Amino acid sequence: MEPGKTQIRRIEQYKDRWSSFGRGTGILDISEKPTPDVLRQYPIFKEFDDKFLEKISPDVSIARWKKNAVLFEEGSYIDIAFFIVSGEVEISLQKDVSGAQQVPIFNRSRTVFVNPGTSVPEERGKTVFQAQVSKQNRSASSITFLSSIDFNLPSEGLIKLGPGEIFGEIGALSGWPQSVTARASVDCDLVQIRVASLRQMRKTSPSLKNRLDALYRERALFSQLKTTPLFSGLSDEVVQSLVQKIELVSYDPDEVIARESEPCDGLYLVRSGFVKLSQRVGEGNIVVSYLPKGGILGDAELLLEGMTGWICTASSKEYCELAKLSRNDFGDVLTKYPGVESLLWNSVVNRLKESGYSKRVVRQSEFIDTALNKGLVEGNSILVIDLNVCTRCDDCVRGCADTHGGIPRFVREGDKLGNFLITRACYHCEDPVCLVGCPTGAIRRADVGDVVEIDDKICIGCHTCANNCPYDAITMLDTGEKWPDDTIPERYRGKERELATKCDLCYKDPAGPACVRSCPHGCAFRVGDIKEFRELLWKPV
Amino acid sequence: METGVRDIVVGRIDLKRWVQEPRWLLAFSVAMVLCLLTYAINASISEINPGNSWGITYGTFASILMVGDVLYAVRRRMLKYDLGNSKTWVQFHVYGGTLFAVLVLMHSGFRWPVGLMNWVLWSLSLWVTLSGLFGVFLQRWIPTILSSGLSVEVVYERIPELVDQVRICAEKVVEECTDTVKDFYKMNLAGALVAPQSKAIYFVDVTGGIRTMLRTFEYIRPLLTLEEKGKLERLEGMYKTKLELDAHFTIQRPLRWWLYTHVPVSLMLVLLVALHLYVVSVY
Repeated sequence: MEPGKTQIRRIEQYKDRWSSFGRGTGILDISEKPTPDVLRQYPIFKEFDDKFLEKISPDVSIARWKKNAVLFEEGSYIDIAFFIVSGEVEISLQKDVSGAQQVPIFNRSRTVFVNPGTSVPEERGKTVFQAQVSKQNRSASSITFLSSIDFNLPSEGLIKLGPGEIFGEIGALSGWPQSVTARASVDCDLVQIRVASLRQMRKTSPSLKNRLDALYRERALFSQLKTTPLFSGLSDEVVQSLVQKIELVSYDPDEVIARESEPCDGLYLVRSGFVKLSQRVGEGNIVVSYLPKGGILGDAELLLEGMTGWICTASSKEYCELAKLSRNDFGDVLTKYPGVESLLWNSVVNRLKESGYSKRVVRQSEFIDTALNKGLVEGNSILVIDLNVCTRCDDCVRGCADTHGGIPRFVREGDKLGNFLITRACYHCEDPVCLVGCPTGAIRRADVGDVVEIDDKICIGCHTCANNCPYDAITMLDTGEKWPDDTIPERYRGKERELATKCDLCYKDPAGPACVRSCPHGCAFRVGDIKEFRELLWKPV
Repeated sequence: METGVRDIVVGRIDLKRWVQEPRWLLAFSVAMVLCLLTYAINASISEINPGNSWGITYGTFASILMVGDVLYAVRRRMLKYDLGNSKTWVQFHVYGGTLFAVLVLMHSGFRWPVGLMNWVLWSLSLWVTLSGLFGVFLQRWIPTILSSGLSVEVVYERIPELVDQVRICAEKVVEECTDTVKDFYKMNLAGALVAPQSKAIYFVDVTGGIRTMLRTFEYIRPLLTLEEKGKLERLEGMYKTKLELDAHFTIQRPLRWWLYTHVPVSLMLVLLVALHLYVVSVY
């Protein structure tokens, strides 16, 4: 395939995962892997020792951005936090930043949170924040808050950040799309820190943690609480006082958040990640439930009379960000606003029902465990095949291949759960990690539903998305072509051209996914979430 | 989500495994009753033979159904086009094909055919219908065997390649083993790991068959040191994978081979019916 103009432009932009360095972009200069001495010139690194700085230096770059350059757009997924050394950065909710001459590094990805195939035109044009509020309102079970708010901005608002300020860290740490657009008002120097190192820095330095927490409180927490059904009825003063009282806590994967029967110290709200809930049975533990983003931990313990200890052990499944309200503060809220209690009871009842069911029915526990381990909890559209009915004719794969120019976007292989095969087709995750770090923006949310697609015209085959995908749902295809001799960067010239490919849910086809409609026995299904999957497996709870 | 499949999983109505779309069965039954009723009334009024107007009418309907059935093969080669759900096409193919046979019998007046051509057409029609129904039986039965205890899920065409990979891995492990394990491997496993093998026992009891074949490992295990036992366990795991691949190879094969009994004969039938129509209309 001939590289088009867009592709050439994208290739020109590409230097590495940091940026679209080069012609047509906003970066004038970039230095990577700075030495500890260089890093220590910047206030944010001052307190760290040489050993630590050496360790994190591959994750840090120092870039000079041109005036009007768009650093990232609202809706893009980034894994970098920015620290302003000099200059000024404009933060706004404007979708199309006027005056910006450059194509943003992190290409805009319009995020519309609906099930694939569902047409919700009114969602289009909304900001990420508005879309999430609207999604939350549609979900009756969700009464707690959203993570993806980076700044408390009015709809037409704009703020300017100067030297010493940090931004982009909330979206990067939570793995959610940015809720604002950032643009360089003047030429600026920025330190860019990847999220893995930012986590380490936050863990090592209590002062940095306090600073990030303070920023979170100042920029996001109030709006988050006010737009949450659980707290939306509270007066501004009470919410403001909660903002100060809430403790922001982070956990590494598999870290214990609360241990069964130990005293319950407060109410936890999951900001990002998944929390696994397990209970002791005999000599071991079984998984009884899990909490996704917006889930509440400690509600049952605090509401049930005479209950002081944790009902179950809660541990983080991946990097988790939680907000904690102490027992006393929560008690104060309940006294002043009894309505909060009735909202919480629903979630308590549901969780207790599910925990009880999991303890009685082993397969439920196994199912939740598998769903957490295999990432089914993340999926918005998982392709499963009923092996009790499937004749292994491969028409699903053939249908997929025929629809995509002869190259199938999945293989009929994968993990088995009961009699169902979970194929290695893209799950179209709620928080797609594959989108993080794509240097050209080739992988992005499509215009419809939660579909994640790859634009093969601008994919440079760097493997970033394929390496990021925990479910092996992205494959690198050898196109059989070579990069042209005028390719920039030069190191690509003459080399084999690879292309990342993945399921796009055939979203452009009104008939729906080819895999499902090509199955002659109706045994290929797309399940929207694990509840649907559970319904397939057995009668729901 | 299809309610029918959910019911199968829940296990309320096992019959649904065999009848995927009850609506189609109902429609087919109604059509069948109507056909037979028409035929009974028709036969009580006048004689029916392939050459008279009644016989020709039944034959025409049979030919139309046959064309509809053949279109399924065309549809399978045009999956990228939105020509409706494949499942609907299959249902039409199955029930329409069965009704075709009934109409052929009505066309001949439920009498033995006369003449070579008619005999061939009549026999091929029955063969195609019966082989089709046998295929339906295989397609309902075989998936249940495949999903009854096999941990490996595999694409049939890839089995030889995967067996090769297992053999290479096993040989690497054996290289590091003592002579006892090497001899055991040479005598019991080497031959089996060369290529996929078909064994009828998998049709009867797939997990039992594999367990029986793994029993040989029990004889050598007590003779080995702890370290060697670990290596033997790895070999056992690989051999088990190979046996599961064999099971897939054995069980999935009839699903492929069955097509050879159905498709070529169907094509022959289509050609002969076309010839038959030409001869009848011209002469």
